[in-house]
Amino acid sequence: MITNSSVFNSTQIWLEFSAQQQNQAWENSQSFSLPSSRWNAYLNQICLTTVLPWLQEEYAPKAKVWPNNAALPSFWEVVNGTAIVLDNTRFVLIPSEAIDRSELRVPQEWVDIPSWMADYYLAVQVNPDDRCVIIWGYASHEQLKQGFYDVSDRTYSLPQENLIHDLNVLWLARQLATEEITRAEVTPLAILPQAQVENLLQRLGNLAIIEPRLAVPFELWGALLEHGGTRQQLYYRRMGLPQQQSIVNWLRTGVSEIAQQIGWKRIESQPDFAGAKGVELTEGEAILSRQLQIAGQQYELQVFPLKNLEQQTWRFQLQNSAPGGVIPGGFKLRLLTEDLHPFAGNEDVALTAQERLYIDVCLAPGEGLVWEIEPFPENYDREILHF
Amino acid sequence: MRYYAIINGVSMRPRQNITDLFSTFIQFNADRFSHWITEPKLRRSMENAITWLQQTEGSESFWVLYWYKYWQTEANNFSKFHLTAYLQESCYWAAQKTSDNFSSNQYTLSDCFQIAIANLDTVLNGYNPTQGFPLKNYASAIFSSTIRNLLRDRLEVNISTTWSLLRRISQKRLVESLQQAGLSEEKIATYVLAWKCFKTLYLPEQATGTRKLPTPDKATWEAIANYYNQQRIAQLQPGASEVNSEILEKWLTNCAKAARNYLYPPVVSLNASKPGQETDEFIDSLPETAAESLLTEMIAQEEVQNRAVQIESMKTVLDGAITKLDPEAQNIINLYYGQNLTQQQIAQQLEIKQYTVSRRLTKIRESLLLALAQWSQDTLHISPNSNVLKDISIVMEEWLKDNLSNSNF
Repeated sequence: MITNSSVFNSTQIWLEFSAQQQNQAWENSQSFSLPSSRWNAYLNQICLTTVLPWLQEEYAPKAKVWPNNAALPSFWEVVNGTAIVLDNTRFVLIPSEAIDRSELRVPQEWVDIPSWMADYYLAVQVNPDDRCVIIWGYASHEQLKQGFYDVSDRTYSLPQENLIHDLNVLWLARQLATEEITRAEVTPLAILPQAQVENLLQRLGNLAIIEPRLAVPFELWGALLEHGGTRQQLYYRRMGLPQQQSIVNWLRTGVSEIAQQIGWKRIESQPDFAGAKGVELTEGEAILSRQLQIAGQQYELQVFPLKNLEQQTWRFQLQNSAPGGVIPGGFKLRLLTEDLHPFAGNEDVALTAQERLYIDVCLAPGEGLVWEIEPFPENYDREILHF
Repeated sequence: MRYYAIINGVSMRPRQNITDLFSTFIQFNADRFSHWITEPKLRRSMENAITWLQQTEGSESFWVLYWYKYWQTEANNFSKFHLTAYLQESCYWAAQKTSDNFSSNQYTLSDCFQIAIANLDTVLNGYNPTQGFPLKNYASAIFSSTIRNLLRDRLEVNISTTWSLLRRISQKRLVESLQQAGLSEEKIATYVLAWKCFKTLYLPEQATGTRKLPTPDKATWEAIANYYNQQRIAQLQPGASEVNSEILEKWLTNCAKAARNYLYPPVVSLNASKPGQETDEFIDSLPETAAESLLTEMIAQEEVQNRAVQIESMKTVLDGAITKLDPEAQNIINLYYGQNLTQQQIAQQLEIKQYTVSRRLTKIRESLLLALAQWSQDTLHISPNSNVLKDISIVMEEWLKDNLSNSNF
């Protein structure tokens, strides 16, 4: 075996993965558009399923994927790297199959999209033949920004001698409470108007575009990805999947598999249905529900039609999942158009603790909405719901 | 004087004085140390410098700093050779330990020595004298990892097919390989683009077997050529011509060849690692103001030298931290650093998995690094930020080898 440990420095983290893990990763990687995306997903999945459990076991039981597992395919389809959060610190694992560990090369997306940027970037060599991964160095966002930017593949890179090779340095620097600047400034990206989004999706959804991330200027590309809803849609388009986020379809024929992974469920309204007051919704009618974790507590976001489906009047409602539980003062439920514009009556705010928050909206068929809640739920990733 | 200990039956006569330390080189014979050979120009340069500074010989650390500072100012190209001379032993022992550690005997000591010393720039660029860690410790650590990395790369490259190699090389390494092969900037840009197209379109079709990738089929070559021809317009200089799949295959084969050759640089005589045509009058030609400002800076560095003395006592702190480890942990680091066993050998001996050894070592190192960081925070009032911790981590690695192998002899 080539990964004879004599060739490793003790500062490198050497982790093995099982044949089963490998097979699972291979199987999962088949649902991507092109061979390059499949291979990218495969390496990232191996990397994640090996590094995350180790991280949880050795350093941080609370470490988890960012934004959430269901969102990963829409990242891996177009870009290398997987983010992990641990309290307020974000790490991006950058898997590579390169034998020589000469450089850490990070896609611009992870550096310059404001909501994506991380504190630390970990260089991970994935070796499928020997079933092991090696974490051999890391750098901060600040360091990477001072590194070399390659315009031809839109990456920031640092040579190996500029990385820190001992991951213990990272934990200790945090532990010894030295306040270090890990992030550099980045320029905010504009929000794209809906017509432009549609144009981009049309163009980049075409598989003739082999590397969509390099096909349009970064400002547009970054903005398209930063909005979770449009990032998901790009993935659906490239996969040739029909509209996955259709509320009307979910109610009629059941929640799509992808939406189930996100956490949406179709349930029947209960006799004591909280939303029933003053609303003509009979018991046993279908409503859509998603569990959310906000500030350590369980809440439920519900979406259902008022009266009947044809009238296109909808209610978004947030309530505490616990019986008798309330929405604390200060919580906000907000709806936005697809391209993130507010509109009249789009917000309900809990001034004091109250039973629920809700917004009623009247929509044209096919129209899309984005919901937001403050404080932000855990694992929040913007989604566009179509009606 | 354990630094000059007899290791594996090879004795190395220590150099007697400061002038020798900065002006002599190891002479090899039958792949082992033979004797020290003086480079007259460097000797003269040292003697001149001593006279000019009206110094008695001074301390080793003074001269290390002196030549290091000169190297930084880029005013004097002898400085690098003085430092090369100084680091001969560090390099020799790093080469010896690493080559012994490799089971196959295809890597000679002098081969490893050459790999390491060729990387002196990495040592000098990465070294931070203001933290007070000894240059030779820092250099040993970098030399060791340089050798290990290169030998590991060779092992991998030797058993990879051309197409696997091309998929599993970093862009940086590819560019360096092509530069070493003497290609022009423009040609390199062309090759790199071809390589990127190859990487995007030729992918493994199985979960394993990434070292044994077969030659791409005709359709794949066509696709790569098409993609290249599309991309070249935006990515290359105007005038980059359209290519067909045969040319592309040839280019990529050249890339792989260059990448292999990169790991086997042409052997230059080891005993030629000395200055060549430089004039003898560098001291005279040095602008006096530059020399003066250098001296002023050196005086300011006294504080650093004081710190260097304090840092010596960190070794004692490290010893203390080691004795506080539990017996199992002591055993593991003794086997690893003291007896120089591989993680695999330790795993066999302790009947645990290799990755468990790797994890334990990491944890042990973490606790030792913490002890050193806290001590330097409390005693030296050095804030343990990432840069400081990084250097402590690198030097600690050498101290562990030093301390533990010493206690075993």
